[in-house]
Amino acid sequence: MFPADFAYARARTLDEALDLLDEAHAEDKEAKLIAGGQSLLPMMKLRLAAPEVLIDIAGLPDLGGGGWMGSVAGGHLSATLGALSTYRQLSRNSLLNGGLIRGRDENVAPHRGEGIPAVTDVLAVLADPQVRARGTIGGTVAHGDPASDLPAVLLALDAELTIASRKGRHPETHLGPYPRRAGKEPSTIGKREITLDDFLQGIYTTDLAEDEIITHIRITTQGARASAYEKFPHPASHLPLAGVAVVLTYKSGRLTDENGRVTDLADGSIAQAAIAVTGISPRPYRARAAEALLNGAFPTPETLAAAAAQVTMASTGSSDRVSLLGDQHASADYRAHLAEVLTRRALAKAIARGGRNS
Amino acid sequence: MPAAREVPVQLTVNGAPRAATVPARTLLVHFLRDHLGLTGTHVGCDTTQCGACTVALDGVAVKSCTVLAAQADGHEVTTIEGLASQADGSLHPVQQAFQDEHGLQCGYCTPGMVMAIRQLIEDHPDPTEEQVRHALDGNICRCTGYQNIVAAALRAASATALRAPASPTAAALRAAASPTAAEREG
Repeated sequence: MFPADFAYARARTLDEALDLLDEAHAEDKEAKLIAGGQSLLPMMKLRLAAPEVLIDIAGLPDLGGGGWMGSVAGGHLSATLGALSTYRQLSRNSLLNGGLIRGRDENVAPHRGEGIPAVTDVLAVLADPQVRARGTIGGTVAHGDPASDLPAVLLALDAELTIASRKGRHPETHLGPYPRRAGKEPSTIGKREITLDDFLQGIYTTDLAEDEIITHIRITTQGARASAYEKFPHPASHLPLAGVAVVLTYKSGRLTDENGRVTDLADGSIAQAAIAVTGISPRPYRARAAEALLNGAFPTPETLAAAAAQVTMASTGSSDRVSLLGDQHASADYRAHLAEVLTRRALAKAIARGGRNS
Repeated sequence: MPAAREVPVQLTVNGAPRAATVPARTLLVHFLRDHLGLTGTHVGCDTTQCGACTVALDGVAVKSCTVLAAQADGHEVTTIEGLASQADGSLHPVQQAFQDEHGLQCGYCTPGMVMAIRQLIEDHPDPTEEQVRHALDGNICRCTGYQNIVAAALRAASATALRAPASPTAAALRAAASPTAAEREG
């Protein structure tokens, strides 16, 4: 079994990759980008996809395979991951797995990262080791598979994507030249940023235009200690029949009033809950109705169960469910049931992991 | 480079440089079997599930039915044929453990199992039984019930540990990490 015939080109730079995309479109040919190919090649072998041009971006230095950079965005610590990072590289990333982090210079003492347990969870149960060695974070996001694991965790971590294209091609979101290179002539590459929530649209459908390339993915890394990912895998394909990612941040800090009286805000109640569900709907989604019940609440068993019961509701106070998918493996109702059970389990696991004083 | 339906590929296979021009859609497993005659790498399910086609690409186990030969251009591939000692033909510890524990029946999945377990032991020099079973998630055996395969993996891990400490990289990392951990905890 092999794919339908196609022309192959390997891009060495982001510029070259964008040129190759433009060339293909000028000739009215369907082009696809390939990095790890762990989703695309199986589809091509089954002839579910038959691109005429395949552009290999696996070697692009600008997409930082395996690299990450810490930064502060909106008052929160975040990490920017190269789109070409493989699952295997991510699972060995100290920032994400709680391992030893070394700074670039000797002024930064090696320290153990807090880690994001939900990321460790998902990378252990996603596909299998051989697939994890090649599959990439950018690829899974671009693929838009309704039954993909990692996007649920990324959604719960408020992921934002950086997308490159020819400058001015998407002016409404154009953010300037990219990548920044001091002392070089101005780049003709533009970039835009979009939240993963806005990016995912439906079954294999995303906001990515034909002339664009995802370069980086930024996730929140602060206070993600109380997090977990739980899935019910299909035993043969390992795809989630349902999967739920949970990230809880607790109230923290102290308030001093005008009389000098100090109130400890860290009373054990939840400041913000993020719950993302995959495998049961046309796209992974944030369960806002369930989150609303937890925001500001104490995590009592009753509250947690009540929140889990809302996990397939379209919005707070609504009796409408999100659009549900069913197939020969599991009906829509069964998947919805799994989502509720998995939400309860993921919440319990996240809470057991602590993180109240972060 | 412009897009082409025929692409030149140059890669190192089991230590030897190999080059050919192949249709772009040629999968690595077919390149190994049909162009290089290395038929130890098997095609099982052909849908990225069974792991019979597992090889090491730049030292990491991957499923060669889901890699294009063109993607492997410029890289290093090790197949089951490249595991035994080239000097004296002695078996790799994982191969030897499969023989000792009789970790096979029909043998179809064996090359992939051996390649996957080689990776497991490199990543986890002293795996638990649970880790072994988890690491074989991507390899399917339809005869053995896995029992002897797991036994072979555990035996190979202890044999590897007896022979030499874990790979230099892993050992170096641990050596570098431990004083700091001690400082922090102490």
